[in-house]
Amino acid sequence: MKKKHILSSAALRKLEGSLFIAPWAIGFLAFVAFPLLYSFYMTFHQVKIIASGITYIWVGLQYYREILLVDGGLLYNDLLPFLKEMIMMIPIIVVFSLLVGILLNQKLFGRTFFRSIFFLPVIFSSGQVINEFISQGGGTLSFVERFNVVYYINTYLPEAWGAPIANLISSFVMVLWYSGMQIVIIIAGRQTIPASVYESARIDGAGSWETFWKITLPGLSPFIFLNLIYTVVDLFTFPENPIISKVNTSSYGISSALAWIYLTIVLSLLGIIFLIYNRVTKLTAGNR
Amino acid sequence: MEKIIVRHRPANSRKKFIFNKLISIARYDLLGKESDKGYVFKLLMYVILIDTAFIYMRPVLYMATTMVKDAGSLLDPGVIWVPRTLYWGNLQDAFQLLKYPTSFTISVTVSLLISGLQVITCAVAGYAFARLEFPFKKFWFIALIFTFILPPQVIILPTILLFKQFNWLDTYLPMIIPAIFGHGLRGSLFVIIYRQFFSTQPKELEEAARLEGASVFRIFYRVMLPISSSAIIVVFLFSFVWNWNDSYFPTMYLFQAQDVPLSISSARLAAKLALEADQAGPSILAEPIKMAASFLIIMPVLIVYTFTQRWFVEGVGRTGMVE
Repeated sequence: MKKKHILSSAALRKLEGSLFIAPWAIGFLAFVAFPLLYSFYMTFHQVKIIASGITYIWVGLQYYREILLVDGGLLYNDLLPFLKEMIMMIPIIVVFSLLVGILLNQKLFGRTFFRSIFFLPVIFSSGQVINEFISQGGGTLSFVERFNVVYYINTYLPEAWGAPIANLISSFVMVLWYSGMQIVIIIAGRQTIPASVYESARIDGAGSWETFWKITLPGLSPFIFLNLIYTVVDLFTFPENPIISKVNTSSYGISSALAWIYLTIVLSLLGIIFLIYNRVTKLTAGNR
Repeated sequence: MEKIIVRHRPANSRKKFIFNKLISIARYDLLGKESDKGYVFKLLMYVILIDTAFIYMRPVLYMATTMVKDAGSLLDPGVIWVPRTLYWGNLQDAFQLLKYPTSFTISVTVSLLISGLQVITCAVAGYAFARLEFPFKKFWFIALIFTFILPPQVIILPTILLFKQFNWLDTYLPMIIPAIFGHGLRGSLFVIIYRQFFSTQPKELEEAARLEGASVFRIFYRVMLPISSSAIIVVFLFSFVWNWNDSYFPTMYLFQAQDVPLSISSARLAAKLALEADQAGPSILAEPIKMAASFLIIMPVLIVYTFTQRWFVEGVGRTGMVE
């Protein structure tokens, strides 16, 4: 009798938990899992929308072959330059947010003011507004124009890397704008390192240069990792990301195949970041 | 002790001593007893901060000054930042072209509705992830992380087809309905924020309530929600602002709709101006009008931000999102 009662209370807990998660789980199945499988299915089919419904014609790997091998336009002219840009943007954003975050953690007059300025872009990083700023040249740094940096890059670097770098420089401020959230994460993360650690380091005679490398950076490593992931996710909707305009309703099959190729690249990028992070934390843990 | 020594010194050595003392005071003040506390260091830090802040804000300053320039100020090579006269015509034009009253109402209603829903539904899911037991919890948690890192472009086309079946295209339902289930724009991030927040709360409160025989629903509603106001505010503000700014989902779902939110309205304005430039030659006022339109879109969230910026900047740390 007693045993039955305990069992039922455990079962009751599970039931209550299931009720709580049910809406989200249903939403996941309907708005994530189902579209994901559906989109995978569409990459192998020619999708035609007619009045009576949708017809699918099996085409096998044709779309993947087209994108990867036959007509390189979509992948090699649009997507790859942006991915190269992205690979340069991620370290820029992460390092910039790290430096500004640490600066803004210092006690100084007007700290709140500076914090709110650096966070401001998160508030209005609307795709359309940023597009306007980029097209008006609001994104460049003034010395870039004065010294004609873009010209030198185009002449001295190979085309494959010159174009993404030039593009990156001409929208540099907008790239920095994408670090608002990351700065806040660094500020919050920096506060998790107790002040006593710095004090004891100072008593041991460590300078601020040493404390940065030996205490601040290792202490912040989980937050840097978080920033890396957040940046990759945030750049999905960066207005210059070609995947936004290339995945459209004109051809469901090709667009879906392109989106899946993009997904594979993004997942492998995140995988690499994760592996590096694991490696680094293991190494620093070994040193201690 | 020092005084005694000084008094017994010859005048010459005394001067030297005072001089040395002054130098050391100056050195301490300028460079600091620690390398990061002197005036020189502070000055350097301010220079760096003000410089970067200026670079950061330049586009906004450019926007604010360009939108009040008339044709005369735009053509005058002597005018770079400050216009000769303030001209409000661009703002009026942008106001009309954006159909501001309608678009504004739609943006406010839709963003408020979605953020209101996400505040509740994401909290429910986040609480379940943080404290409750349910079958396949590990699997669902991986699903949550996966949803977060999944580019929306991968699932957008099937989602469009799905909503087409329901005849929901060109309505706001495709953006609102997922929010009811704790999804929608960055819903997974909000669930993660809540999960982190609830897991940092002490367990004693819930256990006490449970011992008194309260059900999970009651505990969640009466015990957990009242103490999670900081997480609620953070999620609400972020959700509102991001939904306000989002142009991706509205572009995909509302391509034929008459009345659209501001983010789409501004894209249409840009397209219209480009079309006019093609037909009648480029107009010098196109740029100030676009800037005025950008300002009109930014302004409402900017006002929200000025009153709530404390929550935005500090809230991220306070919700324990980063732990």
